[in-house]
Amino acid sequence: MDAATTPSPSATAEISGAAPTSASENRKTELEFDPETMRKTKPGLKRFALTLTVLLSFLLGLPFLLKSVEIYRSPLPFREIDVLSAAVESNPLHFPCKFRAVFVDKGGLSFTANELSISIESHMRKLAAKDSTSCGACSYNPTVSVALESGSNCFHSDNDFKWKCGSVNELNKYGNSGEYDDELFDDYLKSLLDDNGSLKNGGKVYTVIVVRRAKEENVIAVVGKYRHAWIVGRISEEQAAKKVAEVFVKAFVNGGKEEGSITGEFMPVGADGRVVLSFNLLNADPRDWTYDWDFQEIDDNILAPITEALKPLADIRVESQVLYHTPKSSFSYWDDKLDSYIFTTNDLPFFVNSNEWHLDTSVAAGGRSKILHFVVYVPSATECPLLLQLPNGEISTTNGFISPMWGSVVVWNPSACFKDSKMETHVRHKISPEDLRKLFEVFIGQLRQLFGLKSKGLFADASGTLRLLTSDRGFTEWELDVLSRQHTCFNLLQCATTLGSLSRLVQSLPRMIIKDEIGKQVKYSLEAAKLALSNVSSGVYDASAVSSRQARSFAEDAFYHPSMMSVSYYSFEHCFAVYSPFFLPVSLHVLLAVLREWKRYKLESRKYNAWKAKKM
Amino acid sequence: MFPLSEGADQMSFLKSSFLLFLVLFSASESTAEEDKVEKLNEEFKEALLLRPLPDRKVLAHFHFQSSAPPTRTYGRHHYIFPKSIYQLVHKFQVREMELSFTQGRWNYERWGGFDPISNSNAKPPGVELWADFDVPQDQVDDSWKNLTHALSGLFCASINFLEHSTSYSAPQWSFRSFSGKLRYGMLPREAVCTENLTPWLKLLPCRDKAGLSSLLDRPSIYRGYYHSQRLHLKSDEFDTSKMSTGIVLEQTLTVVLQPNTFSGKISQPSWSLSSLFGRKVSGKCSLSNSSNVVTLYSIYHFPKRVIKGVENLQKKGSILYEFPVEDYDESEPFDLELRWKVPVVWSCEQTPLRASRFLLGSGNERGAIAISMKSTKSNNVERVCSDEKECWLKVGIFQVVPWYVKVYYHTLELFLDGEPQSTIHSIEKIRVSPSEDKLNIESVEAMENEAVVSVIHLIFLSGLSLRPNLANIGGKGPILSSALHPKWAIAQELRAHSSAGFLHIDEYPSDANQGFDIPSAVVHFADFQSNMSFDDNFSTKVPILSKLQEKTPVLSYTEVLLVPLTTPDFSMPYNVITITCTVFALYFGSLLNALRRRVGEEERLLRGKAKKTGPLTLMLSKLFAKLRGKPWEPPKTPSSSSSPKSSINYKLVAKVALVACIAAAWQYYFQ
Repeated sequence: MDAATTPSPSATAEISGAAPTSASENRKTELEFDPETMRKTKPGLKRFALTLTVLLSFLLGLPFLLKSVEIYRSPLPFREIDVLSAAVESNPLHFPCKFRAVFVDKGGLSFTANELSISIESHMRKLAAKDSTSCGACSYNPTVSVALESGSNCFHSDNDFKWKCGSVNELNKYGNSGEYDDELFDDYLKSLLDDNGSLKNGGKVYTVIVVRRAKEENVIAVVGKYRHAWIVGRISEEQAAKKVAEVFVKAFVNGGKEEGSITGEFMPVGADGRVVLSFNLLNADPRDWTYDWDFQEIDDNILAPITEALKPLADIRVESQVLYHTPKSSFSYWDDKLDSYIFTTNDLPFFVNSNEWHLDTSVAAGGRSKILHFVVYVPSATECPLLLQLPNGEISTTNGFISPMWGSVVVWNPSACFKDSKMETHVRHKISPEDLRKLFEVFIGQLRQLFGLKSKGLFADASGTLRLLTSDRGFTEWELDVLSRQHTCFNLLQCATTLGSLSRLVQSLPRMIIKDEIGKQVKYSLEAAKLALSNVSSGVYDASAVSSRQARSFAEDAFYHPSMMSVSYYSFEHCFAVYSPFFLPVSLHVLLAVLREWKRYKLESRKYNAWKAKKM
Repeated sequence: MFPLSEGADQMSFLKSSFLLFLVLFSASESTAEEDKVEKLNEEFKEALLLRPLPDRKVLAHFHFQSSAPPTRTYGRHHYIFPKSIYQLVHKFQVREMELSFTQGRWNYERWGGFDPISNSNAKPPGVELWADFDVPQDQVDDSWKNLTHALSGLFCASINFLEHSTSYSAPQWSFRSFSGKLRYGMLPREAVCTENLTPWLKLLPCRDKAGLSSLLDRPSIYRGYYHSQRLHLKSDEFDTSKMSTGIVLEQTLTVVLQPNTFSGKISQPSWSLSSLFGRKVSGKCSLSNSSNVVTLYSIYHFPKRVIKGVENLQKKGSILYEFPVEDYDESEPFDLELRWKVPVVWSCEQTPLRASRFLLGSGNERGAIAISMKSTKSNNVERVCSDEKECWLKVGIFQVVPWYVKVYYHTLELFLDGEPQSTIHSIEKIRVSPSEDKLNIESVEAMENEAVVSVIHLIFLSGLSLRPNLANIGGKGPILSSALHPKWAIAQELRAHSSAGFLHIDEYPSDANQGFDIPSAVVHFADFQSNMSFDDNFSTKVPILSKLQEKTPVLSYTEVLLVPLTTPDFSMPYNVITITCTVFALYFGSLLNALRRRVGEEERLLRGKAKKTGPLTLMLSKLFAKLRGKPWEPPKTPSSSSSPKSSINYKLVAKVALVACIAAAWQYYFQ
């Protein structure tokens, strides 16, 4: 403004061109002078300079204005986010896994250790090529160390692998004495392998021991609770190599999954890495009978080891409640042949009565944690016993079903409805400990299914069956390895997607306030993701699972931050609406003034030049 | 329903010569012996108390009590106690909590205010929540905020608005004396409906599927005059002493209903459970330890000697009947019918003083808030000051005033029967936690940390001068000579001037023109405690009766006060911005034009233009000449024609100004 006020009124007295009266005189005296096209004096620059100053001062002030109306945006590491997304999404994560095989044979072996190793590796590659897309698999340039023990000779394909030859002779003892037991042998192998000092590099080495014995007809293949399996029986070396490769790929790498089972993408873990297992006992009609359970004991004995085992995957909490007056919402019919009420698999979508079953009353599960409902349904006297019929007409042995990402339901028929005896009502019964143990075994199987594992201990295969030993913790060590690998991979993918959408959102809304807290969360998330990636490459599964969970949780926290959710961001339209009433007219004035003065100056200087040319 | 003759119980009283009534019950009584429950077990008890009110209405009070033994000895698994409440207590370390949802206003004059039922169940409209925490002093506010959020999720209500510092306070001693870890908040404008009742029912093991809660037919409850659902929990889970009792959750629902009967002659209507609720009780909730229906008649104005003769009576003149519901089932539902044979008139026991609160003055600046307390004709005062000549009542007032209403405490005045009293003399204790003004808000964060509620804690002695009649209004000197028929002439008033504060544009609620609600004041009569006393064998059997026997402080709530605050035109800031900017832009533009103006050149150009007038201007001037009726003259040189032209211009300007004036006047008068 000061530029506009400085010129004194006397400055306006400057007149370009001569006075009109003198012009007529001049025409007489100087006929060649035309006032329309030429002028004698040099055109003044005063007004042009003035308007230009005003314009320039406006332009200079513009950065200050923009700075003053600026919105605080914490700087987000967009480039690093892009790098992470590219790293995670372009090539699926592959974990380095170590495999080794031991061949024990009394007789001679026709292959050398290196030949066997190459044979197994080629078989594994063939098998893995079928499902290379799965997230969290092992990297498929496997190195298989092989130890050969034939008679008293010992060969190793790798120097790292020290197999104590002759130690499996114990097996023969078991076998001869008739006390052969998978569990015992498993533990024995575990101690044997631990002795061999395989725990040096993280202990994540998968071993298959092949014991060739000509005496036995059938071939037994067992996968233990730990990270080893064994194949015993009459088997050719070529077949054995194929079988070993199968055990490696299908069990140890893929977790013994079948087609159609739940994939890692749908792992029931909340975004904050928490899972709440909510166990509900539903008494459909307490007027007939009411049942209670001794949940405290189950929690301590059965569930606590499982939560402990799954700790690297998720922070699991357990809660329980007993609900009453909770009828199911589907219908069942009476079957004379089976002497019971039947509900079929077609009824399952309508079984859960969301109006009457108020299961989700957990206050403790705040935020984005996942609740898995495990429901024991005690039918009323009018629909008891209640059985689930499978599509093939058989009766389900578990009498329950799962619903992915929601939980599972098991129907438990009280003994009273079989006896036909009138029970004393208004008395609280307890589910007997045996029944309760059976129920929770079913629940553990269902939990395994919800996590994408097999619920049965048998694995059918093209070339025979594979027995899987079960752990009393619910999950065996190699299964937990598979789960943590998948979990890490899925978490990192999710983290990268969340951070990617956050960065896209932030970049698309340039006037959105971003608090420092969000910046910090993004930073932590990236750091945790990097740590997880480095852990993946060094093969530390548990640590990578934990840090990937953190990365995902931080990313979700940043994305769902309350300040991001609010609508009250200061839009550009708002800013424009506030400032345009002043700046629009003023800028028009200033720009037009400068343009006019510039035009005029050019015109006048042309006139002056014309006059000068004429005079010359 | 049973035939009237069966098991009917007839009673008749002769009061004076004109009042006679007869109560008739049609229900069979049975006393099922309950199973002896172990000492350490979860319990659930349900009871329904029915009580006719003097103004032809019926009070129904549902009482459900669940208790869980302490976790240390019992474990975390419960089969009756609601999981969510257990988790709530443990997550926020709640020692005691009370949450009430109320619709309608408790009529203290007609429905009483002194007995335990009305004392603990007459609640202010909207939501009232107070909680006492067992956390360190600096975490109390955080716990409160988290608790409000958890509760609002649990009960489908906007309790989370109580997290704002404008809506809660920390009472120190007057409301309920506690350790200072108590927080108290009220939402007077919260609407209460079925969506709040359903989650409340979910906490009961049988919900509304069986037992007494099956009577809760939504249309009939919400048709009532007063509806208050309350949840009170008390836990000593965190006490280290061995004598802990665990968590006790008490859920009550109090409704005042109007029985629709056509008994024209008799003043009191007859009713039954099925006519009140449209349902019958088909047996008890199978999980409850006891299930009873209790009817209670508190007829105080009958001579005591008449009542003494009856068996099931308490000292103060209440008749009580208890009906266990255990033995009924769906084939034989329980129903209760009450018929009045003879008209009867009585009144409920009143609080010593009737408090009401109102606004005085006018406008935003010269207002005043007054709490007036009038004596009721209650014989309770008689008990306190029967032997003294001058009587003083101790009254505590707890009032939360949001910061946008500024109360000037130096203007606090006390009037007794219209005469000003010295406040120092009459007020025993006053504690004011002043609100902080929020005019200089720097940021949003700083705002939340401020204490923005002003709280008046006030205990004052209200002079109850007992006088022979109303006409003799004097100081507190006049003394009652004869104690036979005292009439209280008490009109006590507490006044403080107030003005409305200025609010930031963000701080107005969504419907600002409706006004702001000042939460109810809690009036506490410290000299009184109310309880009922029954025979021992009764109270052990029925939990609600033991509840009634507990001594509770006498509390009453005033009405919610609606303070109209001037609300601005919310689009005004933008209008101001626009008009200011336009003025500035005009000024700036004209200044810039003036600066780059060349006067001499413009004049020369004008002259040049005048010389060669275009054909259009020629035609126009011809037309004007014809209109004027003058011969057309060719345009003269500018020098000669300058003077008439300017005069025409003046005329034109004058005409335009006139038209503008007329338009302005038109606009002014006809709007």
